[in-house]
Formats: sequence, structure tokens, C-alpha cells
Amino acid sequence: MQKIKDILTNFETEYVEDYKKVWIKTKLTKSSDLLGVAEALKAEGLRSLSTVSPTDFIDDGVMEMNYFFEDLISKRNLWLKCDIPRETELCKIDSLTPLFPSANWHERESFSMFGVVFENHPDLRPIIVSEDFIGKAPFRKDFDWLKHEEDSLKNMQLIVDAFKEEQATNEINLDPDSSETVLNWGPTHPASGPIRLKVHCDGEEVISVDPDIGYVWRALEHLVTQKDFVGAIVAVERLCFMDNINSMTGYCMAVEEIADVEITEFAKWMRVLLGEVARVSSHFMGLGGFFNNMGLHTLGMWNMDTREFFLDFLESYSGARIATAAIEPGGVRYGLDMTMLDELQKAIEKFDGNIGEVEAIFVKNPTMKLRAKNVGIITADEVLEFGLSGIVARGSGVKTDIRIDEPYAAYEQIDMEYITRDAGASQDRFVMLFEDLKQSVKIIKQAKKHIEDEVASGAFNPTKDHMVKMPKKLPKGEAISRVEWARGEVLMHLVTEEKAKSPYRLKMRAPSFNHTMMLDYLLKGKTLSDIPLIFGSLYICQGDLDR
Amino acid sequence: METMIQAFVFPGLVYVLLWTVLLFWFFRKFMAPLHKRVGPHFNGPAGSYQTLFDLSKLLTKESITPDGVNPYLFSMMPILAVIIAMLPAAFVPWSDGFVVVNTEYGLLAMIVLIGIEPFVLFLTGFGSNNKYSFLGGVRVITQSISMETSFFMAALSPALLFGTLNMTTIVESSSWLSFIILFPGFVLYFIALLGLLEQPPFNIPDAEQEIVYGLYTEYSGTNYFMLKLAEFAEFMAVFAGAAALFLGAYKGIGFDSYFWFFMKMLAIAIMMMTLRAATPRITLKQMLHFSWHYMVPISLVNVAWIMLAKALFFTGA
Repeated sequence: MQKIKDILTNFETEYVEDYKKVWIKTKLTKSSDLLGVAEALKAEGLRSLSTVSPTDFIDDGVMEMNYFFEDLISKRNLWLKCDIPRETELCKIDSLTPLFPSANWHERESFSMFGVVFENHPDLRPIIVSEDFIGKAPFRKDFDWLKHEEDSLKNMQLIVDAFKEEQATNEINLDPDSSETVLNWGPTHPASGPIRLKVHCDGEEVISVDPDIGYVWRALEHLVTQKDFVGAIVAVERLCFMDNINSMTGYCMAVEEIADVEITEFAKWMRVLLGEVARVSSHFMGLGGFFNNMGLHTLGMWNMDTREFFLDFLESYSGARIATAAIEPGGVRYGLDMTMLDELQKAIEKFDGNIGEVEAIFVKNPTMKLRAKNVGIITADEVLEFGLSGIVARGSGVKTDIRIDEPYAAYEQIDMEYITRDAGASQDRFVMLFEDLKQSVKIIKQAKKHIEDEVASGAFNPTKDHMVKMPKKLPKGEAISRVEWARGEVLMHLVTEEKAKSPYRLKMRAPSFNHTMMLDYLLKGKTLSDIPLIFGSLYICQGDLDR
Repeated sequence: METMIQAFVFPGLVYVLLWTVLLFWFFRKFMAPLHKRVGPHFNGPAGSYQTLFDLSKLLTKESITPDGVNPYLFSMMPILAVIIAMLPAAFVPWSDGFVVVNTEYGLLAMIVLIGIEPFVLFLTGFGSNNKYSFLGGVRVITQSISMETSFFMAALSPALLFGTLNMTTIVESSSWLSFIILFPGFVLYFIALLGLLEQPPFNIPDAEQEIVYGLYTEYSGTNYFMLKLAEFAEFMAVFAGAAALFLGAYKGIGFDSYFWFFMKMLAIAIMMMTLRAATPRITLKQMLHFSWHYMVPISLVNVAWIMLAKALFFTGA
């Protein structure tokens, strides 16, 4: 950490301070220093840029840029800020993409949403937004959503016209002597989900892949600013419905930090318990999806069978199976009736009864190994370069897991370890997912036992301890929080104004964004058969891709 | 009159329809417990009417012909596919003394008719004017060329053993001894059958996650029904071929009847379904490698083994 501070002394900064245990927070006086700082940081080992998050302070007339640099190896992180003018013509900053490939799409997103121009960016096209939003910077505070909605018919026509024009010309521009074609892999493709990959291919061979995302863009980051702090959780949990609990946990942690509220020990343990149940339900879908992409639906069906039991527990606790809205700033939403844990016990027993079969038939499946052993290889170096996280990073042997790196909720007291695989191929990511699933169930068992013991000894009161009082209005402030989500690291950057009733700005950094960036790199020179396999192995969710 | 009954009832149209409906239902019902599901349930005993309803629904639905396709090629090929897939049934000895066309070249006619089918399917993909369908068509033709080589050589092994191409004679001369001699041939035939019928792990031409069901992409309504019917008629032809060539057709324990023939076909169907529930798809390259590096050489060795066995056990016969 000291070395990072030493680097920062070479530049003009407003302040350098420690933030939490593994972060340094600083603000550059001049935005022109950014490139120099970034270069020095990269040399020091902070090789991943987690995300770029502009905040539009319309009253001060500045656009505050937030950069989150991470070192996945030695767990040193830097939160770097700098101001740039918010006028459209002057809203410019140097691009970090040449230094940090992981910044690529994040800068494109800032460009589309806030109109920040990144100079020397190799490919500064709009991303996520549809044609009617291009050039309008919808996340700026002075953007008029209602006025935009008035012309919805015209907007739709714009989208349709642009698509038709693209389809009419996309192959004319290709070399007439080659047999290259453009395939639309999605958005209504059996294995794609709402994403479109423009696959340039020559027969079966893939030449390049250009992902076109934004088909499920709900502008969640804008939506939360229209709601109060509690109401915002329904927008946050829709990051991806598979694992909604952990994204809510991340958001609530940031709110609690600004409000300076400490939640009860019981609520912390409940967050662990519910979070792991949600992770299990997500991993089950991921494992099934991997085999579905190779045309075998058996594992998906078997997993659904077991997953239902875990959803039963979520239903008995919150009343909903998928969109539970169960975590709230100040704790967890409901008290716990101890009989609900019987549902969980049933699920664990079901899991323990089946998992051996799944391992023997599917994890050790020879045909799966034949297909997935040598494709989609990501080296540990590329993980750092592209800022990958979660099972994708751990499948390549990088020891990163926010639950251990920066423990939140009650993870400090949990007995768990990094699970990694070395080869980094698609197969390793699948096995990784399976091992992570097993570890999650182990954590559920620990958390369940702990809660039962403490309730029996009288330390926890399950019907009263779940919430602490939260202030109605929050002070001015900002906070970041990181959670290990099912698909990787989620970073929430929350900004509030004085006497705030709703968030001023919430940036959600979601892992699938970085993982999708890798697709072109991984698929070049492979065959069409590898597209669903590699796509499935990256464990991408379109919900958190578009937000 | 007799010809009419044979063409339209048994082993013609009605038989093929009935087979399609029942086998379709059986596949769904058999797959369900392997998937830990129930399968068709509400309509009829054990959901057995479900397939009937599904097929009649498909028959009555609008058949959409997309813009820009050649309508004749697009709509003619499914009918042609059904007819060609149904023809091999005429050469199969279904029970003792019952065969529609009893000819010295029965086996040859059967494998030629089975071999034409993929080309028709290729033309459906070609006529769809859709990139995914075209890729599917190319995959069908690639796969059939590599799989048919070993399929034909495996199918010819009984002919070599008994010295005849007449299906009736082959069945009549079969015995327990010939079953054992032909067993490697049967295994080869079964693996090649998976490739030919586009079943896992060789369901490459209609891989929905890769090329959106390949040649089926643009088909709907009646035309889709026709293609499905052709697929199941093809199942029947290939299963019947396996039963007649290797498993002694209608010959059974205690009595000889069509019952045994049907049970043998069903046994092959069950093997195919079990594989379907447990094996992911391989890639086109891996299929080609498997076919030309292993299947074809082993088929040649099998032919040599048949000739050797003939010299050892069937001299003077």
C-alpha cells in the first residue's frame, strides 16, 4: 500500500487517504495526470481496471470520473477520482484502454451514458443504448426522459431503420472474393439469450465476433435514483434474477456505510445464508446451461429438480421464489421462523443425495472433456489484463474471491478457502462452477448451524434482530462496496446528496461485462460449434450485462 | 388390391403414421424419467394422445413459405423425403413369408434408398435461403458421406457371409452362430446409424444451440410435419434393417412372428434414447476424425473377419 502512496506523491492530489482495509482513495487535481498515474500503477502491479464511473454533478458543473484499479494478486486497490468539465465539448479525458484492455467497454459505456469522450480510444462506438439514445447521454442529470418517451413511435422507427440498413449493407462491405458471411447469433437464438453476436464466419470457421448488447437494457442505474433507498432494492436485485440476494447485499452495504449504521450479527449471518442459497440456485442454472449448449439437457433437468428445494426455502422466507427483495438497508427484510430452516434442511439432504451422481455422470463425462478441454483457454495473465473475476478468474488459477479478500457480512467467521483450477479452459470453468457449488452448500451448512446454535443459546433473537433502525434521510457521502456475486465481482459505487431520500448516483459494475469483452478474443479461429460452448462457459448473464 | 393395401396400410402409409405417433410418444415418455420429469401426462392413458394431437395440430397449421425461397424446391422436398424414407419398408421381410418386393437385390435397394435421404435433406436446407439452414444442409451432407461408408460396409457383412443380397434368404439363413459372427458388424452398424439418423453424439446437422436446428429452421406447419414423418420413417427403415440383417428379424424364442421383429426394433430405439440422455454433442471436426480414423478402418477389418469366418464356419454351406 505504501508503494502506491509513494507513486501518488509524484502527482498533484487533493487528498490521499486509506479507505476500508484494502483501498486507497485519492483525487487528482489535474485530469491530464491520469495517463501518467495509470502507467505507474500498472508497473506497480495494479493491472486490472475494475470500472469507470462518471458522476454528473450538475450544480458544480463538473463530471467527476471515478476509476477503480485492482490488484487481484496482492489485494491492493485504488479508488482514483478526477474532475473534468461537464460541458459537452470539453467533457474529454484520456482513454486508458491502450494500457488497460479491461477499460474498453467501460469507457464506451461512459461515452454512451454520459457523453464523456475518451481520447485515443481505439473503438469508441456507443454500446448498450439503442439508436434513439445515441448522442443524447441519457444518464446526465439534465436528460429529459419524459420528453424522450413522448416520441416513442419515432424512436422505435429509428431502431428498426438502423437495423434494416445494417442488415442490407453488412455483407456488401465484405471482400467479394471470399466466402465470408455474417451470422446473427441472437438475439432470438436458442442458446444466446438477449444478446446478438455478429459472427463473421467462413463456412464453419469463425473470423471475428462483435457482440451487440443492450437488448434488456432497463437503465437500472437511473431507475434507482427515482426510488427511495428501500425501494431501490427491487431495481438492484434485477441485475440478474438468478442471484439477486448478493447484489442487494452489496447495495445495502453501501447505504449502511453512508448512514453509518452497523447491522446486527444475526442479520449478517442471514445475509450469508440467503446469499449462498441464491448462489446455489444460480450455479445450478449455470451448470445445466453449460451442458444444454452441447445439446444435452439431462443435467439441466436434474439441477432444476434439486434447485426447486432451495427455492422452496427462499419462498418460505420471503414469499417469492425468484425476485425475493429479501435484503434491505439495515439488515434483512423479515424475521426468521425457525421452522423455515427445515425447508433448507430438506434441500441440503436432496443436494447431498444427488451430487455424487452428477459428478460421476457429468463432471467426469468423457465427451464433455473431448469438447471442452482445449477451447476457450484464458491464461492467468489475461485474467488480470481483462479484469475477469469469479469462477472465470479462479478457473485460470487466479486466487480471487471477495468473500475472502474483503470479507463482508459474516464471511470473516466462515471457514472457506480459494478453489482454483490451473488450465483455464472451458472444462475448468465448468468444474470450477461445480466445486464452487459444493463449497456454497458447505457454507450454508455452517451458517445454518451457527444460527441454530446462537438462537438456542439466546444470543440471536430471530424475530427481532433482523433489522436496525435506518435514518429516513442520508447525509452527503459516497461509498463503494464489493461482493462476490455468483458470476463474479460486483462493485457498487453509491453517491448521495445532503438530506438524501434517494440515491444520487449508483454505479453497478457487473462481471459479465468484462467476460463478454473476451468473446472475440476467445472465438477467433474457432468453429461455430465452439460459440455456444465458450459463451456458456463464461457464465454470462444478459441481465447484468445490460443493466 | 393387395398392392393398394401394401402401399397404404402395411407396411405403407398407415403403418408409418402409426409408428411415428407411437414411437414419438414412446421417446418422450422414455426420456422423461431419465430427465426426472413426467413427460406427456394429461391426454389419454399415460399421455398417449399427446403426440396424436401434436401431429394433427402441425398438419392443420399454416405452412409458411418465406420470401425469397424457391417455393417448388422448398415445398417439394419434404414430400420427396417422406416417400423416399418410406420405400425401404417394401424390401424388409416383416414376418415369415411376408415381404412386399422379394428380389435378389433387396439389400442393395434398401441401402441405396437410405443413402439418398441425406441428399434430399441437404436440398431442403439449400432451398430455405437461410444461412443457418444452408450450414445445416452442408453438415448433413458432410456427415452422411463420412458415416455412410462404414454404414454400408457394416450392412454388407451379412450379405458377404451368406453370399446373397436377398433379404429373405439372409433372414432364413441366420442362426445363433451367424449372430455371434456378425456382432462386430452390428456394433459398427449401430454407431453409423447414430451418425446417419443425426442422433447424439452425432446430432451435428440439427444442433439447435449452434445453427438453430439447421435445415428445419424455416419449416413450419405441414412441411415440418412431413420432415418429422420422414425422420421417423427413416428411423423405421434403419432399425428394420438392423433387425433383419443382424438380429434375425421375426425369428424369436418359442414362436416366429412380427412381434419379435417389433421388439428388436424397440430395443435398438431404447439404446439410442439412452445414449441421447447421457452424451453431449461432438463437433463436426471430431466427427470427421472419428469416422475416417476409426470407423472406416475398423469396418474394413470387419469385412476381413467376415471372410475369415465364412471360410472357417460356413464352408460347404
